[in-house]
Amino acid sequence: MQVTRIIGLIGLLALGLSVARADWRFDAETGVFYDSNLSNSDRAADEKSDSAWKGDVRAGFGFQLSRDLRLNLAGDVDGEVWDRFSGFNNIDFGGSTGLRYRFGLGHQAPWILIEDRLAYEFFDEYERDGWSNNFRIRVGIAITDRLSVETGYTFDHFAARDDFWDLEGNSASVRLTFDVISSLQISLGYAYRYGDVISYAVPPRSDILRLASEEQSVTTFGTNPLYTAYRLQASTHSVSVSAGYAVTKYLSVLVSYEYAATSHDPLEYENHLVEAKVAFAY
Amino acid sequence: MRAVALLVIFGLCHDLSAGSFDVTVKDSKGALVSDAVVYAQGNGMNAERAKKQTVIDQQDKQFIPYVTAVQVGTSIMFPNKDNIRHHVYSLSPAKKFELPLYRGVPAEAVFFDKEGFVTLGCNIHDWMIAYVAVLATPYFQVTGREGHALLKNLPAGQYTVEVWQPSLRGAPETLAKHVDLGAGGMKQLLFTLDLKPGFRAKRAPGFSTGGYR
Repeated sequence: MQVTRIIGLIGLLALGLSVARADWRFDAETGVFYDSNLSNSDRAADEKSDSAWKGDVRAGFGFQLSRDLRLNLAGDVDGEVWDRFSGFNNIDFGGSTGLRYRFGLGHQAPWILIEDRLAYEFFDEYERDGWSNNFRIRVGIAITDRLSVETGYTFDHFAARDDFWDLEGNSASVRLTFDVISSLQISLGYAYRYGDVISYAVPPRSDILRLASEEQSVTTFGTNPLYTAYRLQASTHSVSVSAGYAVTKYLSVLVSYEYAATSHDPLEYENHLVEAKVAFAY
Repeated sequence: MRAVALLVIFGLCHDLSAGSFDVTVKDSKGALVSDAVVYAQGNGMNAERAKKQTVIDQQDKQFIPYVTAVQVGTSIMFPNKDNIRHHVYSLSPAKKFELPLYRGVPAEAVFFDKEGFVTLGCNIHDWMIAYVAVLATPYFQVTGREGHALLKNLPAGQYTVEVWQPSLRGAPETLAKHVDLGAGGMKQLLFTLDLKPGFRAKRAPGFSTGGYR
């Protein structure tokens, strides 16, 4: 028993020392987000737009395991507060792990990053609560000292308290990043996702019902009229452009615009997503 | 008495023969340029050497100073004053080296034995960058915010004065000034540099840094 205690204490001390030697990082972001079609509706009359405040706080540390291999661990809290449709308000508590390998010295060397984030999300509409898991593989390389490209694969999975809100999908993406001047960076991105989506419409919609795996009446968008949520598989193509301006070495301002087009023939809907935020890192 | 007199005369002659270059560096918009290495090479150079060892610190995840000028044959120590490890490296032809993951003061300094301009980085913190100008001449200075350098105690002779800056567009030779420095003379020179917009891997959040996070 005494030996076990001593080994346990040595283990905790070693862990503490390792953590103390780790490269700590603290991030916080806050900003506004706009979705032109939060209801993912294919008919203009059914579309509901809304804006939200989003906040994110993360603390993490990185271990340089070898010259080229780095392990990142982080815990985070994210929140969203929507202006019109509070059913989407949520707060989630998560943790992420990332393993990055760089093929050579310096920031221009190609790299591969494998990461996973697990979180529990609490919604105002509690039946939407659930576990979310995002697994990603990304690879990147600098083409010049100002231009870099990265591509990635993401598996997203959400397991809700009420099975209806379960979602799962697979995505592929590519992004180009360009340093315009010393403090301004621009990114262009494209992503393709195939998987579960939830599209809301005012019933009756037998055309969507034929495509959907499930349907459910919801009061998320009010009761007059009452909306129906349809769960179906669909493809989403999205293009995005973003710009980041470094105000100081710890503080940036970021704005982005994304256009997403989702379809499962004959259902089609579009989203225009705009975000502006301030990011702090130490 | 005679010996003292000779010493005084020798000292005065030495002072009278030492010349200087008073150099101002500006960019094409007229703004003063910092971190510019001003150096003079010529037939008047003597065997005087600049110091044999210098230091480039790593503090708050930055190299300090950003630009260092040394003479060929100088050693540079890279003490890490942060409580995390750094990995200093250079891929520049004038000096390729690595100081693999370390904290504190490394066991040995890095010896710079070849003329040229060396870019330093940290393999862990992509935004960390610094430059070393390795020069054949002992007459050099790096400008501060005032964009000014004073090269002193140059023997009389013909000199080529050049300026290099990390953002300089083109080679320093294209801006060289050929100057005849008389004994005890002082020449004022103005260099106007065409600078590229500065761009470095960003430390600020939200900026892509090749998967560091």
